[in-house]
Formats: sequence, structure tokens, C-alpha cells
Amino acid sequence: MDSVLVVLFSAATSVSTLLIASIGLAVIFGLMRIINMAHGEFLMIGAFTTVVLVRTLGLPVLVAALGGAVIAALLGFVVEIVLIRPLYGRRLVDTLLVTFGLSLMLFQLAVNIFGTTSPGISTPFGAVAIGEYSVSVYSLLLIPVAGLLMLAVYLVFTRTKYGLLARAAAQNPEMASALGVDARKINKLTFMFGAALAGLGGGLLAPIVAVSPGMGQSYIGQAFMTVITGGQAFLLGTLASAAALGGVQNIVAQLVTTFWGLAALFLTSIIILRFMPEGISARWKRQL
Amino acid sequence: MTDLASSQTENGTAVLTGNKNGILQGVADWKHAKTGAAMIVTAIAILIAVNFFSLADQLKWTLWVSFGIVAMSLSFIWGKAGIFSFGQNALFGIGAYGYAILSLNLLPYSGETLSALVFAGVAAAAFAAALGYFMFYGRVGDVYLSVLTLAVTLILYTVFSSTAGPQYRIGEATLGGFNGMPGLPTLTFWIPGSGSVQLEIQALLIFAIGLAAVLYVIMSYAADSRFGEILSGVRDNETRMELLGYDVRFWKWLAFVVGGAIAGIGGGLFAAWGTFTNPSVFGLTQAAMVIIWVMVGGRNSLFGAFVGVVIVQWIADEADKVVSEQTPLILGLMLILSLFLLPNGVVPTATNWVRSWLGASKGGSRGEATQAAPLPASEAATEPVRRGVIVAQNIAKSFGGLSVLRGVDLTFDEAPVYAIIGPNGAGKSTFFNVLTGRVTASQGSITLNGTDVGAMPAFERARLGLGIKLQIASIFPSMTVRQHIDLALRARSTANRGALIERTLRDVDLWERADDQASDLAHGQQQWLEIAMVIAQRPSLILLDEPAAGMSRQEKVRTAQLIERLSRTHRIIVVEHDMAFVRSLEAPVAMLHEGRVFRNGSFEAVCGDEEVINIYLGRRSNAVSA
Repeated sequence: MDSVLVVLFSAATSVSTLLIASIGLAVIFGLMRIINMAHGEFLMIGAFTTVVLVRTLGLPVLVAALGGAVIAALLGFVVEIVLIRPLYGRRLVDTLLVTFGLSLMLFQLAVNIFGTTSPGISTPFGAVAIGEYSVSVYSLLLIPVAGLLMLAVYLVFTRTKYGLLARAAAQNPEMASALGVDARKINKLTFMFGAALAGLGGGLLAPIVAVSPGMGQSYIGQAFMTVITGGQAFLLGTLASAAALGGVQNIVAQLVTTFWGLAALFLTSIIILRFMPEGISARWKRQL
Repeated sequence: MTDLASSQTENGTAVLTGNKNGILQGVADWKHAKTGAAMIVTAIAILIAVNFFSLADQLKWTLWVSFGIVAMSLSFIWGKAGIFSFGQNALFGIGAYGYAILSLNLLPYSGETLSALVFAGVAAAAFAAALGYFMFYGRVGDVYLSVLTLAVTLILYTVFSSTAGPQYRIGEATLGGFNGMPGLPTLTFWIPGSGSVQLEIQALLIFAIGLAAVLYVIMSYAADSRFGEILSGVRDNETRMELLGYDVRFWKWLAFVVGGAIAGIGGGLFAAWGTFTNPSVFGLTQAAMVIIWVMVGGRNSLFGAFVGVVIVQWIADEADKVVSEQTPLILGLMLILSLFLLPNGVVPTATNWVRSWLGASKGGSRGEATQAAPLPASEAATEPVRRGVIVAQNIAKSFGGLSVLRGVDLTFDEAPVYAIIGPNGAGKSTFFNVLTGRVTASQGSITLNGTDVGAMPAFERARLGLGIKLQIASIFPSMTVRQHIDLALRARSTANRGALIERTLRDVDLWERADDQASDLAHGQQQWLEIAMVIAQRPSLILLDEPAAGMSRQEKVRTAQLIERLSRTHRIIVVEHDMAFVRSLEAPVAMLHEGRVFRNGSFEAVCGDEEVINIYLGRRSNAVSA
């Protein structure tokens, strides 16, 4: 009985981690149709900011992660103006390439600043015993945190003026601009919001992963597959695909090894895309 | 002005005019010239390499040649077929591991490793074939495709990094995990009489240059051949290719497999050069490099791939002397800068400069001849009459919860022309797309000339004789007018292909512009070009989607005349909401309303109907008196 519970918690943590790592990418891809190749580096920047804030100022992790979000949003602000905006109207692949270039540069800059490894921060809150098993409280905490994060993003896009305008601009740009929506301003906000979510995600994951300049690269593949498997409904679709892929990954990882869990995640998503080339949510009526 | 431009064209390609075989001859000459140029460049490269290069330089250049080969594979699939893949370096890596595994196992027995180099290409092609099946037959979209290839690259990196330990052994070859496989045999030939001969570094460089030249010539031929023409068509306009009867999935897949084989051979050469391979060949930095080489060199030029490698690697090497170990920073910067400053790459940009400097550029034909295209001369009388029959039974279609079609029964088998009308939202477009195969009906059957085509994709229906003209001119912007018809004729091998192309183009009055790029044609001419393509397909049944949309009254009259003329030999179905235009067709009319056939009969009968008028005016029938 306890073991079942532990397995379930572990799977839910897996799904939550995937969600936290992907949500920023999903927002930017879902609303701007931009594949942000530097997403992993935004995660990494959020994580490093959190580590620095925790170690120097002694802030609690959850507060420090908000600092990560702020720093990532500021970077997103600059990146949107300098690199993304000049490329509007050009081929999709151009924005992909420019963020790829950015990703390489940010990686190297992080190496120059922080070195190839970092001391990291310890996982707070200790562990709790479930029967004869010991489970990290922080990992468990990530499950409601991911839920709250999803809820917050959902509310932003359903209850705020920005959210409504952003969805309108994404679904029907001509109509939106005819109604007086400033698409450039909306896009800037969307990119910043996506970057902030990535930074926050990196901060939240900082206590349970090895924080290093290369950490972005180890999340980027999973995050991308989760988002494109999710499809056009960038919130609920991503939630569904994170549940499917994270679940498969975790179960396989527990049965075999971590490595095969990752392989299973990729294989599952490739097979899903073979039959649903536009993602799980392609035929949903909801577009959120 | 038009005359001047066309006479220049004729001077430039004097061989082509009048003589159909001359076209083939001209193409062959051009290919020979390319081959010749490649041979000369190769010879010069070898001479320089042998006489002037130090050992270190020879080593470096051999590496660069192997890089150039994988870059060329990306130029081919990206520039020619429009497939942007992050995975070429992964295929390169598979080639490297393929060479490693086979050479270690085979060398003791065969005394050579050339077969391992071939195997490198085969292994990468096989991997590309499997991956390509998922991507292209799943119709994964462009952006998704680049993400998928990236994900595959990342996972291969993880897979090969975690193969440390003795259990990961294939015959004599231990995969070696993160450290990779050292101590590979270099390229070795078996020469009868003298046994195994290992290539020293200078000989390896000469071999590499020769190999690259051979691959370049093969790829150039492929790019200029019919295969390349089809790929350009797919890149420019997938929908139109599908409507012409091409299986787009297959051609993209094939291009990807060919590119995979080339990348794999590059990887094999890389492993033979360094006598090692490790998982970093699958790394993100390596993935970035392949793309940067091609970006800098120019993705529309196969030769540009090699130029790109030399430029980028030289800059990277020089930069490393100033600030060491900053390669990702420099690569990222180069990627961004080349994207903003040199979006077409060095070689195409330079070629354009040289062309305009020589004054050889085709003087502004763009935007000319904006007047309406003249009515095609009537020559179609010689065509045999082929009036196909299409029957739609109980067609229903819903999107999500929205029922657009609710049981449409229509048979098109008697009159030469039929018109389908209906107010906005009646389901006309959906019904049109159900007939073409771009939308699959939720229910009901479509029979074309006796064959059930309900489940067939658009390209198979096109092969069975369905010709489709879309509302907005659907052409291939970067191809010449002549190539359009050539593609529309498909594989129908005719000795008089040239004559057929000429006749079709004369039919729509575009023969004068045969060698102009389609994007230079006026709007009306592009419409005619699309119609010419549809006719060249030799359909038995032609579907026209709102042919009068956006036309002046004069153009509408001409279009109606054209439809009348085509209808002497084909059956034609017109979907239209312009009532005056429909009246001029003098055809039986089916009116759709709320997803059903509301009225069916002559134009006068349908449009004289009180209820039909009410629907069009948006009135309720009992509210007329008010």
C-alpha cells in the first residue's frame, strides 16, 4: 500500500516537474508561434538567480524563485526588442535560429560567470516518512505548486485584460488589430511573461536538480516535446501531455533506469505526433 | 519592354527556342559545365593540398571536408526541399558510429574499411528513413519537425553517453559511453597484389576531396533533375503538388533519406580521419555548427556548404587564439549576425553581385503586364473528350460539434458544367474540399469514375483524373512557367514533352513567358498558369473554387468563356457565389443551404424560387409581406 502511494507521488512529482519546466515555453509558443530555443537558458538563469539569492541573502527558496522570474522577465524584455521584434513577419525558422544563437551565447556567458559547476542549494523542508519509505517534502510540495502555477496562468489568460487581448491577437491578428489591439505591445508582454515563467520554473527546480550552465540543455528536449505534443491549447494541452509523458517517463524510470524513462518520454511523444501531428489538443474546441 | 525582356531571354538561351530536343541539350550542357567546374576546383584543391599544406593543415582540411559533406546534406534538404532539420549532425554521428562499429569488426577479415564508409551512409540513411517515416507520413508540421529532429539529436546524445560498460559491445566494438570509441582504423583499401593499404594523411585528404567532389556532382545532378524539380515544387507549394497528384510525404521522405546518406558518409569520413568518435558528435554545439555553416555559406547553394565550413571554422580558429574556449559564444554570435546581416548566405549573395556586375540580371519583368491576361486561343478542339463522373452520397461533415454538411447527395454525370451555389456558411467550401480530398467526410461516400475515393488523400484523387483550381492562384513562386507545366505533366513519359508544354502554354498565352519566374507574372497570368497546370494534368473532371472572385466584369466574361471551352472536353464543377457569373455559365445549379441541398435544377428555376431569394436576402419566408 505504501509503495503504491510512493509510486503515485513520484509520478505526480515527475508530471509537476515537467509542467514547471515547460509552461513558459508553452505560453510563448502557444501565443506567438515562436519556438524559444533559449528557453532552457531562461530556466538556467532563474535557477542561478535563486541559488545566489538563497546563498547570499538567505531568502527562502520560494521567494528567491520569484527573483529568478523577475531577472528572466527583464532579460526577456531585452531579447524581445533586440532579437525577436526585427524578425516578425519572417519565416518561423528565423526566430528559432536567433533564439538558438542566443541560447549558445547565454550558456557560454553563464560558464564564464559561474564556472561549469555550482555549489547549488540544499533541498529545504527535509523528508517525510511514508511507511518504510522516505519522501522529500519539497518534491511533494512541487505538486500543489505546479497546480497553483497552472491556475494562476489560467486566470491571467481568462480574467485579465492582457490575457484576453493576447488570446485575441493570437487567434485572429487582423481582427484584433482592427479592434485597436497593439500587437507589438502584447507580444512584448507575452514574451516577458513566458520568460518570467521559465525563470520561476528554473528557480523552483533549483533545489532538486544540479544547477549548472548546461542544465538548460538537459530540460530543453523534454520541455519542447511536452509543448508540441500538447498542441494548440497551450495550457490544458500542455497539462495533458505533461501528464501523459511525465507519467510514462516516471513509470519506465522506476521499472528500468532514469535513462530509459527519458527515452520512453521521447518515443511516446514521437508516436503521439505520428498520429496527432498537431498535438493532443488539435481537435479540442478550447484553445487555452 | 516585354519584348525586350523576352528577346534577351531568347538570346541567352538560343538553343532552347523552337527546338524541343534543344531544351534537354541545354540542360545537359549546363550540367556538364557544372561537373567540369567541380572537376577543375577539385584538381586545384588537390594540387594546393599536396604542394603547399603542412601536415597540420592537411589534417585540418580533411576534417573540414567531412564537415562540408554534412553541411551539403543540410543545404540539400533545407534549400532544395524546404525541410529544416536539426538532425543532420545526428545522422553524421550515426555515420561515425557506423563506420567505427563495422570497421573494427570487418578490418581483420576484409583488410579494408571502405565498406565501413559505405555502411556509414547506409546506416544513417536507414535511421533517416525510420525517423522520416514518423515525421513525413505523420504530416508533422515544419516547426514541429525541427523540434522533433532536435529532440532526437538530444536523445541520441544521451543514449550514446550512457553506453559505458562492457555490456555495450557489438562484436569487437565497445561503444565506450561518454568517452566514445578510440583507436579506430583509418581509411584502408584492399589492393589486389599489395594487400591492405592504409591511407596516410595526405592520401586521405586527396581521397576526401575526391569523395566530396563526387558527392557534390551527384547532389547537383539530383538537384537539377526531375527529383530536384519535384522537391522545389514541394518546398514552394505543398498543396498544389498534392493537387497535381504528387505524394508529398514520399518525396520529402526520400529527400530526407538521401540527405541522411550523405550526412552519414561525412560522419564515416570524420571517424576515419580522427580514428575516434564520441557522443559529442550528437551534441547541441555540433548541431549548431552544421546550421551555421549552411547559414553562412547559403542554404540555396550546395557549394556554399563547403564555403560556409571554411569561413566559419577559420573564424572560430582565429577567435580561439584571441579568447580561448569561447566557441559557443562565438558560434551563437555568428548565427545571429548571419541571420540579420546575410540572410541568404555568402555564396548566393556573392553570385548575385557578380551577376549584377556583369549586367546579366534579367531586367525588371516584375510587376509588368498588369493588364488582364488575354483570352487563350482556342486550340483545345484536338483534345479527346473526357467527361468524368463524380457522385457524392449522403455526405456529412462536422467540425467539433458544428455540423457543416448534413447529408448532401449530388451526382455530376450529365451536363458538361455544374454550378454549386449557396449563401455564406452554407457549406460550399467544405463540400468542395470533401470532393478534392483535403477534408475527409465524417460520413457518406464519394465515387469518382466508378472508384470509391472517399478515403483517398488528394494526390490519389488527382491521379484518377480530378483537376482542381483553387480560389487564390496556387503556383510555385520560385519556378519558371515552363517548370510548372513540366511538373503538372507528372511522370507521364512522352517523347514530345517539350511540344506538349509549348502547346499548353500557347493555349493560355504564356508561351512568351515560359522561362520567366512565376512570381514575376501578373495576378491574372498566375491564374491562367494555374489553369494551364490543371489542364496539363489531363483531368476528366475539373473543380473550380470561386473562379470569378476578385475579377473585373471583363475578366469574368473571359473566365466564363474559358469554362465553356474547357467544358467541351471536360466535365466542370464550379463553386461560386457570384450570381451574375453563375447565370452566364448556363449550367444546372445546386443550391446548398445549412449543409443540405436546398434546390437543384436550372438557374432560372432555382433562382426564381421565392424561398431561395428569401434565404439570400436573409428574410424569413413568412416575413415577405412586411
